[in-house]
Amino acid sequence: MNSDIPNNDKIKVRLFAILRERVGESEITITVPTGTTVSLLHDEILKKYPLLKSFNNKFVISVNCKVTTGNIIITSRDEIALLPPVSGG
Amino acid sequence: MISITNNHLSLQEIMHELEDNSAGAISIFIGNVRNQGRSGNVSEIYYEAYIKMAEEKMNEIENEAQTKWAIKKLVAIHRIGNISVGETSIMIGVSSEHRKDAFEACKYVIDNVKTRVPIWKKEISDENQKWVDGILLG
Repeated sequence: MNSDIPNNDKIKVRLFAILRERVGESEITITVPTGTTVSLLHDEILKKYPLLKSFNNKFVISVNCKVTTGNIIITSRDEIALLPPVSGG
Repeated sequence: MISITNNHLSLQEIMHELEDNSAGAISIFIGNVRNQGRSGNVSEIYYEAYIKMAEEKMNEIENEAQTKWAIKKLVAIHRIGNISVGETSIMIGVSSEHRKDAFEACKYVIDNVKTRVPIWKKEISDENQKWVDGILLG
């Protein structure tokens, strides 16, 4: 293997409620370099699905059911989801 | 006991879960779908949940309530799917020795379910459908 070529991870991202409806999928797959962080994943999601830009700051990202930001490193084994503002009850 | 279900909620079943001969008080909160929402007239509400995370969060809230108050039993059940006006979307029940613990714990649980659990609702009427803009999880 050529070490100059970075390995990629395919990250599955679950979508809920208004985000699921707007994208038309309950799960999307984002390809990112191995060792990527939540904030880089966030950027890649907006690049691949620009319609989500209008929801920027109106969703958070959860990793393994915990809301997470910034420099947490994620892998394809993690369960990732985009969560719009909640309104249960 | 916490649960997220597609089934109709039954007060009788909740009361059965709360039975405890050492409890002198039971407090119950019932949340119903009403015919007016933020977007106007409402005929039904569609509820959606990230079930795995929602159950984890509801368990967390139950554990906090158990720590803060002297609770005998606690039940919190949220229904999801399409729920018509007049039907129940959530029931919270708490039993305790005396009423103060049951009242306060019941309020704590419903207040926190509404702000910390990944559940979403869409108001539906004959004219339109609109997701309710809620609280961003932190």
